[in-house]
Amino acid sequence: MNGASHALKRLNCKDLISYLKTLPPFILEELYNNPATCLAVFRNLPEVARHYVMRLLFVESPVSQDVIKHWVVKGEVEKHEKSIEALKELQVWDHSPIPGGLPGWKLKPTFRQNFKVVMLGGGTSWTRGSALEPDKYTKDVDSLEKYAIDRWECVLNFLVGSPSSREMLTADIINLIEYSGLMTNSENNHYITPAGFQFLLMDTASQVWYLILQYLDTVEDRRMNLVETLTFLFEISFASLGKEYSAEKLTDGQSRFLQHLRELGLIHQRKRKSGRFYPTRLAIDLANGCSNTISETVNGFIVVETNYKIYAYTNSPLHTALLALFSDILCRFPGFVVSNLTRESVRNALAHGITAYQIINYLKSYAHPQMLKNKPILPPTITDQIRIWELERDRISYNEGVLYNQFLSQNDFEILKEHARERGVLIWSNTAKRMMVVSLEGHDDVRRFWKKRKQDS
Amino acid sequence: MGNHKRDRKDKEKRKAKKGKFVEDQEDSQYDEIDDEPEDPQSVPKIASKNDMDKEISTAAEDEFGAKDYRSILELKLDHNARPLYVAPNGHIFLESFSPVYKHAHDFLIAISEPVSRPEHIHEYKLTAYSLYAAVSVGLQTNDIIEYLKRLCKTTLPEGIVEFIKLCTVSYGKVKMVLKHNKYFIESRHPEILQKLLRDPEIAACRLVKEESHLKEEENSEKKSNSKVYLPGEKEGVENGNEASKVPDDISNFFEKMDKDEDEDDKDLKTVSFEIKQESLENVQRRCIELEYPLLAEYDFRNDTINPDININLKPSTTLRPYQEKSLRKMFGNGRARSGIIVLPCGAGKTLVGVTAACTVKKRCLVLCTSGVAVEQWRSQFLMWSTVDDKLICRFTSDAKDKPTGCSICISTYSMISHSNKRSWEAERVMEWLQNQEWGLMLLDEVQFIPAKMFRRVLSVVQCHTKLGLTATLVREDDKITDLNFLIGPKLYEANWLELQQGGYIARVQCAEVWCPMTPEFFKEYLGTRTRKQLLLYVTNPNKFRACEYLIKYHERRNDKIIVFSDNVFALKKYAVKMSKPFLYGPTAQRERLNILDNFKMNPKVNVIFVSKVADNSFDLPEANVLIQISSHGGSRRQEAQRLGRILRAKKGSPIDEYNAFFYSLVSQDTIEMLYQSKRQRFLINQGYSYKVITKLSGMEEEQLSYGTRDEQLKLLEEVQRANEADAEEEKMPLDAFINSKKVFRRPGNMASMSGADDSVYLESRRKNVHPLFKKFKKR
Repeated sequence: MNGASHALKRLNCKDLISYLKTLPPFILEELYNNPATCLAVFRNLPEVARHYVMRLLFVESPVSQDVIKHWVVKGEVEKHEKSIEALKELQVWDHSPIPGGLPGWKLKPTFRQNFKVVMLGGGTSWTRGSALEPDKYTKDVDSLEKYAIDRWECVLNFLVGSPSSREMLTADIINLIEYSGLMTNSENNHYITPAGFQFLLMDTASQVWYLILQYLDTVEDRRMNLVETLTFLFEISFASLGKEYSAEKLTDGQSRFLQHLRELGLIHQRKRKSGRFYPTRLAIDLANGCSNTISETVNGFIVVETNYKIYAYTNSPLHTALLALFSDILCRFPGFVVSNLTRESVRNALAHGITAYQIINYLKSYAHPQMLKNKPILPPTITDQIRIWELERDRISYNEGVLYNQFLSQNDFEILKEHARERGVLIWSNTAKRMMVVSLEGHDDVRRFWKKRKQDS
Repeated sequence: MGNHKRDRKDKEKRKAKKGKFVEDQEDSQYDEIDDEPEDPQSVPKIASKNDMDKEISTAAEDEFGAKDYRSILELKLDHNARPLYVAPNGHIFLESFSPVYKHAHDFLIAISEPVSRPEHIHEYKLTAYSLYAAVSVGLQTNDIIEYLKRLCKTTLPEGIVEFIKLCTVSYGKVKMVLKHNKYFIESRHPEILQKLLRDPEIAACRLVKEESHLKEEENSEKKSNSKVYLPGEKEGVENGNEASKVPDDISNFFEKMDKDEDEDDKDLKTVSFEIKQESLENVQRRCIELEYPLLAEYDFRNDTINPDININLKPSTTLRPYQEKSLRKMFGNGRARSGIIVLPCGAGKTLVGVTAACTVKKRCLVLCTSGVAVEQWRSQFLMWSTVDDKLICRFTSDAKDKPTGCSICISTYSMISHSNKRSWEAERVMEWLQNQEWGLMLLDEVQFIPAKMFRRVLSVVQCHTKLGLTATLVREDDKITDLNFLIGPKLYEANWLELQQGGYIARVQCAEVWCPMTPEFFKEYLGTRTRKQLLLYVTNPNKFRACEYLIKYHERRNDKIIVFSDNVFALKKYAVKMSKPFLYGPTAQRERLNILDNFKMNPKVNVIFVSKVADNSFDLPEANVLIQISSHGGSRRQEAQRLGRILRAKKGSPIDEYNAFFYSLVSQDTIEMLYQSKRQRFLINQGYSYKVITKLSGMEEEQLSYGTRDEQLKLLEEVQRANEADAEEEKMPLDAFINSKKVFRRPGNMASMSGADDSVYLESRRKNVHPLFKKFKKR
């Protein structure tokens, strides 16, 4: 594989809707059998689409497409088009001609039925909140938060190559990380990839979502049922933090999934066999998909100064390693790290596929409470400079082309140059030296023109 | 492996040495007089111990190549309430948002050098000099260590404790006091005096009176009031509500130290012996050799021989808090100490000087760098104090007032240290100067004077106290440290950002404007290897257009604009093309003042072009926009000095808005970019931030010169015709004086002259690969 092209690959993280769109219709249809899924999908629909669903929820017969089109004002047609498209692709509604043959839309019965359950209540409980005996080992919210972060940092630590983290993860998860393209495996050693670097600088919610997406891709290979897995995922995303849920009625596949989630820190379960589990915040935030909002839960610890110094109040080797991705660590005290942002250090990070946006976003997400008092949070000179360092890498653009030179007469040169210019394929020319460069696409045409001219004369 | 490492280290060391060498040269324009090796005995040996990085850093390196202090330092349980981290290499990190910040800040300023003071976390460094300054203002070794221990979030590194002891044990213990016009060597520690007296050389200098055969005489003189009240000082120092979060041990100790300083002499007995006045120099030198440098103090209230002069601050004059604080350090124990006060330009250094003169009330000699500055000092004296015009005597090449009966003399360094033949009139004034005993010598812009020139001044003039005033105590060479021993320790250094927030200096928006080279100029630039490169990037048409645009833009806002160009060729080119007045070295004094007056008063003259003659001491309070088109390589000091031209607080503008603008125009892709990044370092460390402007919006709509390619080519031709000499920077009058005897040809190229080589070295210094990146296999 070519290293350069590999480095340029951007980490592609879909949001919930675009992920669901990739699923075949019959799977979606099956998913809508669960009210939780319907609610999750509904919440992620565009605003206009949500209105349509609500309006049509109790209309049993198809509604004319023209009628729906008139529900929006003139200026907002674009939103309307998008919404129609989304609802169609997600199999929420389908074409159905109204009596008289005009095209119309009709909500799919499964979705309608289960979404009604969400709205009106009734049906069976869909959050597994069945009556459990009181737990001897109840977990409070704080310890759940801590547990989730600890577990998730195991994954991140494995990515940055901390030696101890290897034993903390099972082969399943390591395979998943490999499959996600965050690390490569050669001779039983794991190496981080450019995608991995980018992954490290994403906020936690996006990281979790990305890894879960990758997990869902591999569900079939694990001989698990995608629908079951997704349904379970949606269910726990509507659970409440600090509440216990029963693990009794899970299918085999779901139980395996539960164990994986447990390993990633999305779920707390005291023992593998204990019949109850606690979802953590990581799981509950999942249904929001890949959000770009800064998560509020983390305590900021990074101070960025206008003299390009970064001070981080942290003991975590992970955060230190992350800082070292794009800055030079100068010294480390207990609970305090001093580092320096330089052109070299940032360029080094850029060369490994990390973007300026990611660096800035990372610094912003973990900004110290003192920094948050400022507006903007980071000193603009620093953010500008990081962007400029990124831009200066793009100052040279490459065009493939063909060089024409050694023209015998100025006239020949001028004519050919004019021809190429008219076609818009001339990249560069120097009249004094009678040289010109024509783009690769234009080469054939220019050559033909030149040959024809020579024959004519 | 280990071998390899050592290799690398050696190489770094060698490189570091090279970097130093280059830096030495940078300010050579002022230091050429210093070529001869320094007299090694003029500064104590400990001064060479300054670089703690090499001395003490034995800390392990972690996987990122960073110094890892985690194993040697232990975090205290209540670390949140304490504001400091102290690294074993002497660097101190201070949280400015800590509740104890105020306590810690005053203390750190006293014992260490500020490295950088941006918004949140300040960095200081302990050096031998800073500790010397600390003991000289009355701090005790144990107090320093104890207080530092309490402020530190972690345990204090062993090496630091040792370093402090090493540097302070012999410093500041012995003072030279001038009392009743007799010189005494005074100390609180009898054993030290004994030790000194055992030295035959010092013993020989001792003045033994016939009636007293005592080894030491008890100094039992009662101090009636050891506290000096500065004129203009407001009573009732604010000692507001201390935050309850401050740990008790810190606040208690702080109060104790505060008290200590005031009650210095009351409870402790001091011993002293008198020395012969003629052997003063010898004693001073010998004491430095013995590692007991003498602190000079002047008991001016008990000086009966030199007459008091009638000078006071006007009742309307009020001191700002930081000015008062700085003077308090100087007159801390009822006597006047010699030292240096560092205040940003425009923050009222002159007033500090005038107040000092009013406090001492003895004959006062003021030395500054240029004739214009002499005039400014004179008018400031008249403005702030009640001094009679007749008492002030100017001594410059243009204005020689009659010295008889004068008690304040204002002159320039070059006038005093001039060693060639003088006019008869000047000779008389010099004689008079030499015969006076001066109470106070005020040294303006003290960072300029080479040590040697300074010594010559000192050898000519007798004075009791020396007060150095400066804005930027940085030099690209390390000569600055000599000043500590020639004048005295640094007494006070203000925080720029805090002054700005207080509205005492203007809020400046610094910007670096990137001007792309036009293709023709860039081609020529690449093809040129001589100093004419400079002309090409300075006259880059895009730079010209940017400059013209900025001038037009600010003229419309009714701003007053100064354009700086070190290069005279470009200066003239720009000024003539835009038909604006310009002044540079050869401009006559009269014309200079004329242009400056017009700039100040005439609403039609809003723009002046100046060369580097205006870098210092040109007081132009009206100016609020500064455009820099060419500069002296990578000199940090020049950048700070220039910024100082527009720092004077602007009246009637809100404090929280930018009210002054500082543009540096740099030609992209040329060596100028490198210089610029080096120049900014000082100001960035003071908390300033430079905004990079890659494109000036609105430039297209403006009618600007050199818009067409033909015009640009014509300009290029003119530049090509210019000769090598045009690329030279202007010689300062000070240089002219220094170089009058010899002709110098500097070795090395332009880059090494201004320290650009050094930057390159800095860039490549760290080749530490992130352990993660090591894992990332390229394939």
